Amino acid sequence: MSLDLQTNASGQLVLITADGMRHENVRPARIFPLTDADHWIALQDATGRELACIEDPSALHDSQRAALQTALTKRAFVPVIQSIELITRAADGYIWHVITDRGPTTFHVETDEAVQTLGSGRLVIIGDHNTRYLIPNAAALDPESKRRMERYY
Amino acid sequence: MARFLTDLDASLHFHQGLIVLTDRRLLHVEPAQQADLSFRSWRLADIDDLVIDELGAVAELHLLQGGTQSHLWRVTSGRVREADGFLAKFKELQRAHRHEVLHGHPLGSTTPKKVEDDDPFASDEVATTSPPGSPLWRLMKFCSQWHKLMGLGFVLAMLSTWSGLIAPWLTGDLVDNVLIPLQSATERVHVKHVYQFALYLAGAAVLTWMLKWATTYVVSRLAERCASHMRRSTFEHLQKLSLTYFNKKRTGDLISRIGGDTDHISLFISVNFIDFLVDVLTIIFTAVIMFTVNPLLAFAALGPLPIVGWLVQWVRGVLRGGFAAASRAWSAMNSVLSDTIPGVRVVKAFAQEQREIERFRQQDKHIFDTNDRVNRTWSFFEPTINFLSDVGLLVVWAVGAWCVAHDKAKVGDLTMFVLYVMKFYGRLDSMSRFMASSQRAAASAHRIFEILDVKPDMPITDGTLTVGRLRGEIEFKDVKFRHGSRQIIKGISLKIEPGEMIGLVGPSGAGKTTLVNLACRFFDVSEGAILVDGINLRELNVMDYRRNLGLVLQEPYLFYGTIAENIAYGKPDATRAEIIAAARAARAHDFIMKQPDAYDSLVGERGGQLSGGERQRISIARALLINPALLILDEATSSVDTETEREIQAALDHLVKGRTTIAIAHRLGTLRRANRLVVVEDGKITETGTHDDLLAHSGTYARLHQAMIEVTHATATPP
Repeated sequence: MSLDLQTNASGQLVLITADGMRHENVRPARIFPLTDADHWIALQDATGRELACIEDPSALHDSQRAALQTALTKRAFVPVIQSIELITRAADGYIWHVITDRGPTTFHVETDEAVQTLGSGRLVIIGDHNTRYLIPNAAALDPESKRRMERYY
Repeated sequence: MARFLTDLDASLHFHQGLIVLTDRRLLHVEPAQQADLSFRSWRLADIDDLVIDELGAVAELHLLQGGTQSHLWRVTSGRVREADGFLAKFKELQRAHRHEVLHGHPLGSTTPKKVEDDDPFASDEVATTSPPGSPLWRLMKFCSQWHKLMGLGFVLAMLSTWSGLIAPWLTGDLVDNVLIPLQSATERVHVKHVYQFALYLAGAAVLTWMLKWATTYVVSRLAERCASHMRRSTFEHLQKLSLTYFNKKRTGDLISRIGGDTDHISLFISVNFIDFLVDVLTIIFTAVIMFTVNPLLAFAALGPLPIVGWLVQWVRGVLRGGFAAASRAWSAMNSVLSDTIPGVRVVKAFAQEQREIERFRQQDKHIFDTNDRVNRTWSFFEPTINFLSDVGLLVVWAVGAWCVAHDKAKVGDLTMFVLYVMKFYGRLDSMSRFMASSQRAAASAHRIFEILDVKPDMPITDGTLTVGRLRGEIEFKDVKFRHGSRQIIKGISLKIEPGEMIGLVGPSGAGKTTLVNLACRFFDVSEGAILVDGINLRELNVMDYRRNLGLVLQEPYLFYGTIAENIAYGKPDATRAEIIAAARAARAHDFIMKQPDAYDSLVGERGGQLSGGERQRISIARALLINPALLILDEATSSVDTETEREIQAALDHLVKGRTTIAIAHRLGTLRRANRLVVVEDGKITETGTHDDLLAHSGTYARLHQAMIEVTHATATPP
C-alpha cells in the first residue's frame, strides 16, 4: 500500500497519495456504514471528492490505522444497541430507552419505517435527528429486549 | 385438411359457421333456420385466392374467384390468428394443387398435415380453463398434504365432542338415581353419591377443556400451514406468468387476493371448519343418544329439523353470491388504493384529491352495500334458527311432560333430553354461522384458484437449450407480432452483429418497445423467428438467455432495499468490490456516498429520495454488474434533463462498450453513438443506416432529427 495516513497538528487526517500529493483535512467515509463498517473506507476531501479508497484498513500500518480510526470515530456515530430497557408509545411514534455501546440513551422513533432490516438479523433504527442506532443481530439480543421489541416491530 | 370456425354472419350478428378445407374443395357449413344446415362448396381449382382484411374488431375473409369477390365471411378479431393459420394451410394446399395440375403428380414436400383433434368446433385458443370441482373441494385437496395433521385434528375434535356429551348423560343419571330418590325419600340414597356425580362432571369438564384446547391448536396450525402454502404458491405462480397477464390485471386486485383471500381461508379452516366438524359430530351423537333413550321424545325434539335444513339450503345460495361480490368489492377498493397512493403526486398536481376521495367513497359504499345485503339475509337467518330451537325445546317440554305423566319416561330422561336438545340446536346455530364462512371461504378459494389456473402462456421450460455467455448476435427474421386484434409488428428483418449498437427510432406506437419486448422474450413472436447467436430464441432456456440480458428502462424501478442490494439485484452474490466498481462505472458512486448511509441507504418503492437521474444511474449500475452480452436501453435518457442526460450518457458509454445494444431513443446524444439507426414506422422498418446516411436520405429520420434539434435548442436556450 503506497498511500500514507497521518494526523496533523490540528488533529486532522492527512493523506499522502501514491503520487506523493499531500491532502490535508481528509475525511474518511464508510461505504457500507451499516453492513460492513470495518472495510471499504473512502477518503474524501473537504468538498466530498473521493481521493482514495481503502478496502481493508487492517492492511495498514498501526499508526496509519490509528489515525484513520480516530478520524472515523469523530465522524461516524452509530451507537450499537446492546439491550432495550423499555419502549413506550408516544404521541407520534415510540420512545426507545436503550443501552448502547456508548452508554444508555433515549431516543424517539417516528414511524415503523424507521426500523429497517438489512439482512441477516441486522437492524438499523433511525432515531430523531437522523442518528442511526444499530442492532447487529436481533436474534442475539437478550430475551427481555427481544420481547420488548417484538411488541412493536 | 384444415378448418376454421366463423362466428359472425353478414349482418354482424353472432352466428357460428364452419369452413372446411379438403384436398379438393373448400366447404362452408352454417346452421340455417330450424336446425337445417346450409352448405356451400367451392372447388379449390376455381378459387383464385383467399384474403383476410382486418377492420378493427371485425375481420373479413374474402373469397376471390374469377377476379371478383364471390363470398365473404366475417369473424371477430379474436379469430384472426386462427384465420391466418387456415389461410397458410389453404395456400400450401393450393400450391400443391396447382403443382399437381401442372406436373401431374403431387408435390412431395407438402404432404398435408393431419388434423390434430377431432372436435370440429374445438378452438385452438389457450384459454384459462379451470379444472372442474367446487372451490371448497379443491381447497381440501390442496390441504391434503397435511393429512396427518388433519387426521389428528379430526380425532381430537371427535374426542372432545364425545367428552362434551358426557355431562348431560351424567345429569340424567343424577336426576333419576340420586336427586329424585333423595327428594321422595322412598329409597335410601346417600348424599355422597351427589358428590360422586359432581366429581364425574368436573372430570368431564376438564377433559373437554383439554381436548378442545389441543384441537384448536392443531387445527389453527393446519390452517396457517395451508394459508401460507397458498400464499406462497400463488406468488410463485404469479412470478411465472408473462407480462401480458400483469398488463391485464390490477395490482390491488392481486394484492387483495394473496393477502385478503388467503386470510379468509385460514380463518375458515382454523375456526369454522373445526366448529363444523364438531357440530356435525355433536348432532349425530346427540341424535343417536336421544333415539336410543326415548324414540318418541327424540322425534318430538327433532321435529323442526326439516325446516332448518330447507332454510340452510336457501341461505347458502344467497350468501355465496353475496360473499363473492364482497370479495370483488374489496379488490376494487384495493385497486383504488394501489392506484392513488403511488400516483399521489399526479393527484395533488392536478388538484384531484376530491375526485379520488369520491372514487374511494364509491368503492367503499360498494363494499358497504354488498355486506349490507349479506347481513340482511344473515341477520334474519340466525334468530330464525334460534327461534326454531326454542320451538323444539318447547315441544320437548310438552311431549316430555306428557310422557312423564303417563309414565312413559323418567324425569331424569327428560332433563337429559332438554340438555341435549339445547346442545343440538346450539350446534345448529353455530352451523348456520359455518354456512356464511364456508361460502366466504369458497368465494376466496375460487379467487385464488383463478390465479393458479392461469397457464403461463410462455412456459419457462419451453426452451431446453442451456447456454452460457452469448456472443450477442441477434437476428430478427421476418418477425410478426399480433396482440389481440392488432398486428403490431408487421414483418421485421434485422441482423445485429455482436458488439453493434442499434438505435431504434420512430414515432410512438410504431412498435419499438414491442420489438424490444420480443427480444427479451417477454412475448413470443406470432410469426417468424428471433435468432440469438444463430439459435432460435424459442429453443433457448429463457432463464439462461435472460442472464445475458441487461435492461435499462425509461422509468427505473428500484426495489425496497439498500442501494447496494439494488445494484446487485441481478447478481446477488456480487462482491462489494464489484458493486462499487459498477457504481463507479455508472457514475453513481459519488452521489451514493452523499447519501446518509452511503451504499447501505434504503431506497423505497419508487426510489424515495433519489432523483430520476440518480435512480437511472443505479439501474445502469445494476445492468453493468451482470455484464450482459445484450443490452437493451428503452428510452433510458428520455425522462431526465440535459445535464443529467450527460451524466447518464457517460455512464451508458461504459455500459455499451463491447456489447450488442438495442437502444430506443429520442435523444440525439444516444443516437449519434449508434452504429446503425433503424427507423420503425407502423410495425415495419422504413429506413436503416448511419446517422449521416439517413440525414442525407432526407426521409423520416431527417424529419425527426430536425424536430429533435428544434426541441433541444428550445430547451438549451431559455428565452
